[in-house]
Amino acid sequence: MEYLASTGVLIGIYIILATSYNLIIGYGGLNTIAHPIFFALGAYTAALLGIDTGLPAVICIAAGIGVAVVASVALAVTTLRVSGDYLLIASLGFQLGLLQAVNNLDFTGGPAGLSNIPLTLGGPARGWLYLMITAALALVVIWLAQRSMAGPFGRAVRAMRDDEVACAALGRGPFAMKVVIFAFGCGAAGLAGGMYAYYYQYISPEQFNVAQSATILTMVVLGGLGTIWGPVIGAFVLVALPQAITFLQLPSSLVGPLQGLIFTSLVIVFLFLRPQGLVGTPVAGAAP
Amino acid sequence: MRQEVLRLENVCKRFGGIVVADNISLSLHAGDVLGLIGPNGAGKSTLFNLISGLFRPDTGRIYLEGQLLTGPLHRRARAGVARTWQHMRLFRTMTVLENMLVGPREYPGESMLRSMADTGSLRRAEAAARNRAMHVLERMGLAHTAGTIVVDLPFGQQKLIGVARALMNDGRCLLLDEPMAGVEGSNYETMQRIVRDEAAAGRAVCVVEHNVSFIKDLCTEAVFMSYGRILQRGSVDDLTQSRELTELYFGAADA
Repeated sequence: MEYLASTGVLIGIYIILATSYNLIIGYGGLNTIAHPIFFALGAYTAALLGIDTGLPAVICIAAGIGVAVVASVALAVTTLRVSGDYLLIASLGFQLGLLQAVNNLDFTGGPAGLSNIPLTLGGPARGWLYLMITAALALVVIWLAQRSMAGPFGRAVRAMRDDEVACAALGRGPFAMKVVIFAFGCGAAGLAGGMYAYYYQYISPEQFNVAQSATILTMVVLGGLGTIWGPVIGAFVLVALPQAITFLQLPSSLVGPLQGLIFTSLVIVFLFLRPQGLVGTPVAGAAP
Repeated sequence: MRQEVLRLENVCKRFGGIVVADNISLSLHAGDVLGLIGPNGAGKSTLFNLISGLFRPDTGRIYLEGQLLTGPLHRRARAGVARTWQHMRLFRTMTVLENMLVGPREYPGESMLRSMADTGSLRRAEAAARNRAMHVLERMGLAHTAGTIVVDLPFGQQKLIGVARALMNDGRCLLLDEPMAGVEGSNYETMQRIVRDEAAAGRAVCVVEHNVSFIKDLCTEAVFMSYGRILQRGSVDDLTQSRELTELYFGAADA
């Protein structure tokens, strides 16, 4: 049963990551791949504060969110004036560069990471407690995403995604909107990082690499870009699927490549046959 | 004397060695419908881009109701410059009504927190905008399309929605970039009626258009542009009867 709880926590963390990434890329149309690095900033900030100061976990995780938000605004202010492919490249540089720093600094533990994160909420029901907290936080993030995108702000953001120049010519300044959704999405990634660090009590740079971008992106695309429930379903499917494959009792030399094959095929199949994802409504003018 | 709405003073713009606006001075008054004609590449759309803030002039000044117009697109839209685009630039994943609702100059939901708080004042502003949008759509006979995804409409109706969206701005200056290209039949009549009504309501309207009969029917005056310069301003008849200008437009008969 502990196994079920731990899978649930992981699904909750990925729901937060995919939902917040979807705000940036699906609603905002900002093509960044630097989502895992904000996940990492949240995780490392919370972990280091927890280890070095012994402050309560809530404060450490809140600080992780803060650092992720500050870093995202710094990236936004310098790069969001460019868009499209340029933003993609700038975000790639940010992701790779910062993770390289984490990988080589002493105080972050280098490639070995941090493994002595204080035990919080110990005891036999630990997994279930974390599951409830993570699920509640995921619900809050989904609710915030839904609230923010349903109203006039969300309408302006979608308009900006569809045509930035036309949107600006109607009086909606694109830059401020971009910074706000970017900061909000990255802050949520920081929250996911803090939860991750405290639950697993161990973090290392490879957990936040570019492959993680691909995983989160796959969740969003599979579920449905620019929809509220798409990333949630995507997170369920893409966490549960690899677990299901391990139940097949295949030799481990086969499991890795098989997972890669299935993930990649899923993205290709969905982009061709159902670009709107599992829950999205077909976009007008798109291929049937 | 009717009030001056828009004034351009010696506006110049060049891209590298190409002069796209060569010392343009122009004045538009409330109630004017000014036609902007000239061959392709004359700088007509560029002039709109300079007024609406997509480009910044190298030199020269632009005034709206006596106030210097500066800043990027969204600031000038808020000052009251409403424009349309030749290729409409509608928000393609959104409904007609949603397209319209992006347009009001006062937009209290611009702040994410305020939008999420969904206060009474925000709800009233949204309801007012919705009413205004429906009213504009009714004037165009398009109220029934409010819930349709905008790109599912026929082309002519999309053109009208492009204008309807700009009218949500409610500014004093209305710039229409080729509103008639691809528009015919009843939509043609509607477009004419709307432009007339807007001018009568005290707006200064400027129309870039290749459809000379549309310009003739509608415009009190027109300006002929070529190579970034205004060659002549006068009545539409004078301009279209000038042998020199028609040769520039259509090419010389003996060329």
